[in-house]
Order: sequence, then C-alpha cells, then structure tokens
Amino acid sequence: MKKQVSLALAAVMAAGMLTACGGGAASSAPASSAPASSTAESTAASTEAAAGDALSADITLWTYPVGNFKDETAVGEVIANFNAKYPGINVKVEYLDYANGDDQVTAAIEAGTTPDIILEGPERLVANWGAKGKMLDISDLWTDEQTKDIAAVSESVVAACKNADGVYYEFPLCMTTHTMAINKEMFEAADALQYINEDGTWTTENFEKALQALKDSGVDTTCIVYCGAQGGDQGTRALVNNLYSGKFTSADHQTYTADSAENKKALQQLVDWSNAGLISYDASFAAADELQLFANGTIAMSFCWNASNQNQYASSVTFTPMPVAFPSDDGVPELCGGIWGFGIFDNGDATRAAAAKEFVKFVCEDPDQAVESVRMTGFFPVRASLGDVYAGTADADRMAQFSGFMPYLGDYYNVAPAWAEQRTEWWNMLQRCFMGTAVDESVQTYIDNCNAAIAAA
Amino acid sequence: MPSKTKTPKDTALVYNQGTFRNSALVRQQTVAAYLFLLPALVFFCLFVVVPMVMCLVTSFFDYRMGKPLTFVGFAQYIKMFKDPIFLKALKNTFILVIVAVPAVAIFSLWVSSTIYKMHAFTRSFYRCVFYLPVVTGTVAVAVVWKWMFNKYTGILNYILSSLGLIEQNISWLGDERTALACIILILFTTSIGQPIVLYIAALGNVDPSLIDAAQVDGANNFQVFWHIKWPQIMPTTLYILVITTINTFQCYALIQLLTSGGPNHATDTIMYYIYYQAFKLNDYGYGDAMGVVLAIIIAVLSAVQFKVTGSGSTD
Repeated sequence: MKKQVSLALAAVMAAGMLTACGGGAASSAPASSAPASSTAESTAASTEAAAGDALSADITLWTYPVGNFKDETAVGEVIANFNAKYPGINVKVEYLDYANGDDQVTAAIEAGTTPDIILEGPERLVANWGAKGKMLDISDLWTDEQTKDIAAVSESVVAACKNADGVYYEFPLCMTTHTMAINKEMFEAADALQYINEDGTWTTENFEKALQALKDSGVDTTCIVYCGAQGGDQGTRALVNNLYSGKFTSADHQTYTADSAENKKALQQLVDWSNAGLISYDASFAAADELQLFANGTIAMSFCWNASNQNQYASSVTFTPMPVAFPSDDGVPELCGGIWGFGIFDNGDATRAAAAKEFVKFVCEDPDQAVESVRMTGFFPVRASLGDVYAGTADADRMAQFSGFMPYLGDYYNVAPAWAEQRTEWWNMLQRCFMGTAVDESVQTYIDNCNAAIAAA
Repeated sequence: MPSKTKTPKDTALVYNQGTFRNSALVRQQTVAAYLFLLPALVFFCLFVVVPMVMCLVTSFFDYRMGKPLTFVGFAQYIKMFKDPIFLKALKNTFILVIVAVPAVAIFSLWVSSTIYKMHAFTRSFYRCVFYLPVVTGTVAVAVVWKWMFNKYTGILNYILSSLGLIEQNISWLGDERTALACIILILFTTSIGQPIVLYIAALGNVDPSLIDAAQVDGANNFQVFWHIKWPQIMPTTLYILVITTINTFQCYALIQLLTSGGPNHATDTIMYYIYYQAFKLNDYGYGDAMGVVLAIIIAVLSAVQFKVTGSGSTD
C-alpha cells in the first residue's frame, strides 16, 4: 500500500511536468484550420464601408525595437500626432524585443489576442504569419501611386511585401543595407586601409591581405565569425555569399543554395583562414557579443553593422567605426537588406482593421509624419517622394556614409519558405564547419534539413 | 439523592448521540476543508490537469500554426526516436542528471554535515551564502557566468593564462568538449542552496541521545553517520533526489541564455528542444509528444528513486 502511495506521488509529480509542455496548446486549432483567405476577404470588404466614416476604435500596436520605435516617448509623440487628426482612435502600444518578441506573438496568435498592428520585416509579416493566414490582406493600401513611389527606390521592397500570389501583408516604412564595420585606427596602424576602396568596397583578395596585415601588426583577434545563435545572422550570410559571389536562395526564393560551388568555396576559405589564425570563430557568440567586443576595441571588424548600430555605439566607442561593404571576389558586393513596415493581424473586426489602416497610412504616408517616422527608425525611406530625410539634420553625415551602400542592396531572400528553421540550421552549419566536419558534409546536412522543413511547411 | 446508575441502554443512547454529533462535525470540517482547497484545486485543474490532458491528446496530432489539425497516431513518437537531435538532447539530459544530481546531493550533505553544528550565526551565514544563487534570478546568474566564461574578456581564461595553465584562450561555452561541463557547473551552483538548507534542518533534528548512546558504545564518526544519521535523514535525501532530478530534467533557461543548445547541439536538452520545436518552429504536436516522453521518464526515475531509497518501507 505504502509503495503504491509512493508511486502514485511520483506519478503526480512527474505528471506536473506535462504542464510545461501543454501550455501553448491552446484551443485555437480549429480556428487556424479555417481558410484564412476567406476571413481576410470578408474583413477587407467590410473595411471599405467603415473607412469612410469618422472612426472610433481602440487598437493595439506592437513594435519590435526598430530604431526609436522602442522608445515610449518617441512613439507617444507619433500617437499624439495621429490623434490630432483621428481623435476617435485610441492606440495602445506594447514594446517587443527580439529575444522574446516571436514567442509573445506566437502565444498571442494561439490565444487569439493578437494586436491590430505590428511593426517588423517581411520575413515575419509575409513569410511567417502571413503565410499562416494570420495577417490581413492590405493590398488596398498599395495604390498605384504608392507602389510606383516605393518601386522607384527598390523593386525588391515591393516584392518582399507580398506573397507568391501577390497578396500584400506589409506596408513598408524604411529600409537599410547591412554592412561590415572596421576599426579605422587599427587598420591605419596596420597599413591595411590601402586594401579598401574609397567607396567602402573591397575584394576577397584584399580582405585576406588586410587580415594578414592586421595580424602582422599585432592584432590578436581580427574578427569573429559568430555562430552561437541566430541574432545578426545576416552578417555571416552576407560574408559567405559575397566572398565568391554565391547566392543564398534560388531566384524564386523557393530553395536554399548553400551547396553551390561558390558558397562551399567561401565556407572552406573561412575555415582555412580560421585554421591559419587570420580570423576567429565563436560558437558561443551571437552578433550582440561580437558587437560588444568591436565597441570595446578588442576586435578590428564587425560583421553586423548598419546605420542604427553606428548611432547606438557612437557614444561608447573610442575609435572611428568605419562602415565598409562585405568583400567579394569581383569587388561588387550584394548586401543584405533590412525592410521594416507595418502589418495588420486579421482579428475579424472591420472597424478596428479600418482604424489600423488609417494609423499605418498616417505613419507611412502623411506628408509631415512620414519623414519623422523614417527618422525615428534611423534607416532610409522606401519612398522616393520623401527624398533625403536626413538632409540638414545632425545625422546627415552619418547617414551619408550608409546611403552610398544602397546601390549594392541585394536580393531580399528572407521570404523563402521555412525561414525560421533555416536560421537555426545556418548557425548550426557554421558550427559544424568550424569544428572540423567537412564543409561538403556540413552543407549537405543544412540543405537536407532545410528541404525537410520546406516539405513540412 | 440516590445515584442514578446508567443502564446499557442509556450508554448506547449517549454513544449514538456522540457519534451523530461527531459525524456532523466531521462532515462540517470536510466541507470546510474542501472549500479552503477549492481555489487551489481550481487553479490546479485549470493550469495543470487541463494542459496535461491537452498535451497528451495533441501529441497524437500534427498540430502546427496555420495548418489543420490532423490525427497522426503515434507518428510523432516514431519521428522522435528517429530524430538524431532529440536523441542527442536525450543523451545530454541524462548526462546532466547522472552527473549533477549525485554531485548536488553529496556536496550538499557534506557541506551540511560540516556546518550544522556550528554557531547559529556562522550557520546562518553559510546558509545565506549557499542559498544566494537560488534567490538570484536565473538571467543574472547566466549573464555573470557568461562573462566569466567569455573567451576574450572572461576572468576564467585570464586566471588560467596568468597561471600558465593554458596557452590559448578557451571558448568554454563555444567548444563541444567543454560546453556541457560548464552548464553542469552552473546548474550545480544554482541547485545546491535548497538541499543544503534542508540537510541542515534534517541533521539538526537527529535525536542527539541516539548519537550519544552510539558513541558511548564505541561507534566511530562514520558508524554514527551511517547507522544513526543516514536513516533519519533518508526522507530528506529522497525529497532532494526527486526534486533535483526533476529540476535537472527541466533545465532550459540556462541553455536558452548561454548556448541555445550549441555548439553543434552539444548542450541541447529535451526541455530546450521541446521549446525549440513548439515555440520556435510552432510544431506543437511534436513538442507535446516529447513532453509526454519526458514526463514518463521522470515518473519512472522518481519511482526507481523511491524504490532504491526504500521510502516505501518507512512511514
């Protein structure tokens, strides 16, 4: 009897374990199986009717930390400006971070408590939540005028904001190119600046010469290929793709192409440089760790740089961080882009959807607000009509450094299927390569796992 | 007045009245007890029993965000045991349990045995010191350890290189050979606080007269410990083993904060892999199936611990 009681007690304690695993299994499964497109159509149709009236609604906005959109005061000013024109619409804001934001959105989707508006990039709004039928079709915001205005800056932005069927799930606000950065003083001391062109581009051959020069001048760690987690992974992707002009996905973004000869050659080159001590890798580092070492002056280069980082670290660094392009064999880089904008969750409430659209249009299109909105992000406008939003501001010089890289903006492949799985597979592949597994084998595992994820998606 | 002698009939009547009153009282107390328990029971059912049942049920479905719910029988379980990452996570989890649980129990017992007889102030001081990592937030603990383990700026590499013990800095958390050991070390430091406090209390409750008697009979320290103290602290030991085992199986936060399962899955644990599958890839059905397997493993191990430590024969 006593044994039975004891065993029962043990079983109860172990059963408690299941709680941790069942929490997310909310009862929204049938909802998720409903045809999303029909819901979207009905909501969109009724939105038209509501939009003409004076709107009165309580809506929620969730923002990822895109520039100052993480700052309560700055966002509060945007809402105050909005309310001056739309006093009946009450906007409540919640601020997400990249560490937990996806989990919060996932939990909200499962619980049916998603916000009305969310600020992020197409890889989430289009390729993830849009593909899963959770976002509202906002094609009506993409008027001919808007489409032309955005296409005049980059056709890639237009393409990235819609799915393969042409349904738009994102209304973009800003964009940037991700670059590298070098410690200018370290490079000068090593006489390595000579290997970088005036426009910030350089070749793979010169990159290697610069690495050698830095080592010869006594720099202990030139740069770190971080592969501890997915944060800032666009840096390592751009590094690999550019070294020998590889592509990350096929042209239609349906398959991953890390197994191309160019990409494998680049990976092998990185491993060889690592073995020769010219570069380092760290499987416990994500981009934030690498950036901190760069800001400390411990390492000579960062693979995770952009205008926003330049602004963020400007006050803490004691050297000149100089943005440069990723090295490529032909000296013509293809830089990864970042696009940020608004999406609207399909909450089945026409009035709230209409109010959300008004807010999105106000932030992105309003003649007075749009410029301020872009400046808040610290990136560049996606609309040609906005011109140089930083002209005459204190940020003009800093932003001019980065605007020169915009012509090198490459394909926006982040909307490829199974993107979330791919991101994990990517840094796991880098870890395998640097830890001694043959590049061919490591890449094949990556491709196999990505293909399996695409098939399951 | 002549005394009135109670007849057997009178006695039976009084007895029955008392029984009746007792029964009413018991009923009243039972109802009151259940009313007091009700809030906890409601929460237990809502947040433990219901998710538990849902977890079990959905483990038999292909349940992903944005896809229709499809019954797949045992397919998730079959997939699990063909999944090399799950098997690696399972292996890592068992390594954590096999190393960390005995280490925590033995070290805690040793520390407690050393300090439980000390002056109250000293004893409290040590209790605070060892309990500090328990009350410190996991994130803070992880960040501090991450600093210490940092390959470039960490104090560990600095000390070892200063002593001439290493020639090149080591990426403690980024090297397959050292990452899991680092996790075990951190887990160890954050797990010993509660066992030490419990052991100190348990050792303090051992009847000193039994120890005196044994010593008078010539028992040495080991014999006193083994034959007098050890049997009396056995229930505490059992509790510590079960709780530490469960906590170790649930090791997630440290992995998430320090290594994300890397390098090359060297620190993946079942709990982290469940999180990854369910919340990163939104494959809830697969995550739930792994949760069920983890629960079964813990139940079996806990039962074995009860059996081995002989708690079934005590009470």
